Amino acid sequence: MGRTIWDLLRTNRAFAAGLVLLGLVMAVALLSFVSPYPPNDAYVVPPDVPPCWAYPLGTNSRGQDVFWQLSVAIRNTLAFGITVAAISRCLALTIGMVAGYAGGLIDRVLMSVNDTFIVIPLFPILVLFYFVMRDRMSWALLALVMACLGWAYDARLIRSVALSLRAREFTETAIFSGMSMRQVLLREHLPFVLPIVFSTTMNNINWSIGMEVTLSVLGFTDINTPTIGVMLYWANQHTAMVAGIWWWIAAPVALVVITFLGLFLLAVSMNEFIDPRSRLNRVRG
Amino acid sequence: MSETAVLTVRDLRAHYVLSAFGINRSVSAVDGVSLRIGRNEIYGLAGESSSGKTTLIRTIAGAIRPPLRVLSGAIEFDFAGKRVAMQTATQSDLAAIRWRHLSYVMQGSMSVLNPVRRVRHSFVDFAYRHIGGDIREFLNAVRAHIGRVDLPPGVLDAYPHELSGGMRQRLAIALATICRPDFIIADEPTTALDVVVQKSVLGMIRSVQRELGSSMLFVTHDLAVHANLTDRLGIMYAGRLVEEAATAALFRQPLHPYTRHLVGSLPRIGATPPVTADLAGRPPSLADPPPGCRFHPRCPLAMPVCSEQAPDMRVVSDGHRVACFAVGVGA
Repeated sequence: MGRTIWDLLRTNRAFAAGLVLLGLVMAVALLSFVSPYPPNDAYVVPPDVPPCWAYPLGTNSRGQDVFWQLSVAIRNTLAFGITVAAISRCLALTIGMVAGYAGGLIDRVLMSVNDTFIVIPLFPILVLFYFVMRDRMSWALLALVMACLGWAYDARLIRSVALSLRAREFTETAIFSGMSMRQVLLREHLPFVLPIVFSTTMNNINWSIGMEVTLSVLGFTDINTPTIGVMLYWANQHTAMVAGIWWWIAAPVALVVITFLGLFLLAVSMNEFIDPRSRLNRVRG
Repeated sequence: MSETAVLTVRDLRAHYVLSAFGINRSVSAVDGVSLRIGRNEIYGLAGESSSGKTTLIRTIAGAIRPPLRVLSGAIEFDFAGKRVAMQTATQSDLAAIRWRHLSYVMQGSMSVLNPVRRVRHSFVDFAYRHIGGDIREFLNAVRAHIGRVDLPPGVLDAYPHELSGGMRQRLAIALATICRPDFIIADEPTTALDVVVQKSVLGMIRSVQRELGSSMLFVTHDLAVHANLTDRLGIMYAGRLVEEAATAALFRQPLHPYTRHLVGSLPRIGATPPVTADLAGRPPSLADPPPGCRFHPRCPLAMPVCSEQAPDMRVVSDGHRVACFAVGVGA
């Protein structure tokens, strides 16, 4: 794994650029742990100061330092994306691999559930959830709901790979040698599927962050946990655009764009990792 | 034929039974096959594509998945006194004999190794479970064993795509023989190789088989391979065994009209009787085989009885069996 990452770094510019961008974002997120102000406290600094030496990204109309606010927000947003991706990956892997391997009735049942999740429109469902839950809608609950809605596309993809693996000789040999379904899936098929999952994980993080920002900007989430979307929500509430407090909006937007870009570059360069042959060729040639 | 048979197959019928939208279709891929394979013997199975070779050995290996179904017949193994009837064996019975007593080199043996795992891991995954004991001891045994098939120990740490086709096939054979099984089933293990590599792989199979004293069921459509390797040879046509004899006898004196054309079609060096007229037509669809002898629509010796009833295998001379009405009359 370490070798692989080093090889990719040396030979793949997109991977290196993605890693640098994400490293920058991670650094900002980690700085939140040494933040001088509690994230939800207001009027701790003079309001509406444009970017200057004392406040590198300025301060907002609620008297908060935009930089420190941003560092907490991006930390929560990243954690949200990763949580959603992790839970939905577990669902997608299990369902996709079992459906592809077992076939028959199990496959049909799982895939009809899967297709149902693909066709239902997610955004209205999430908004509906907010209106049902109201104040009980927490960050963790939203992550869980998004994870339960976000696995279907990847389960289909994984199933298609599992179907092809099922028909290969090494699977037949594994079954003939007496390996159980769990053993075949975990030991023989999982190493095949994992690189593909890495790549879709990046996309899934992007998707869930985007969804979270959309919901938050409209105020359909828990607005007391600072995230990128919640920052924008408060900026809108204080009519930052009209009042000319542009840095309050520009800073979170810029950072989230950097995050998207970094994740996208990683996802693209993961293709190199998926196929060890092309990686080896690049490194040796 | 030796007295103690390791494998006895009696009147085996295995069909692919498909049913969709209320229509039932049955493809009789193996129909009424009986054979015995003795200890320390290489039995060859020849026949053209879709003559039921692979279906027969899948059934023998107990690797049956729907839509393949065994309708009747019996398959019995006798591993040095340990008798196993495949029809009544449970999953755990099968797990207990596989690899240790019965191993199987799958068709397309170049890809029996998982392409994303190192070769070593495939050996551990597939074979170690049947041996147990210390893992380091096992790996040492594997290293010694792949030396027998002329591979350096380093290939264990390679990925399959870093190896050549011949190396992969030799590894597949090493994988199948690592537990010193009593019976090895090999389905076209050398088909994708060029003749030079093929020759060395065949020689290696022979020496490994001799060394282990195992029996072997060797399937290929390549008659030249059979002539080089096998002790006895069975010819299949359209799901049935039509002739069986010691390999040399079968090549010297083929009796069944199909076998005669098959052997006659082989190019020979030197004084050659010219190839007789081509057989017209093509093998029948197994979903709708002709009544009686399945070869009769193409047979130059066809008689009225051939289209009415199917001929049984009859012993013509010592160890030479043939399923044809015309042969009994002529010989």
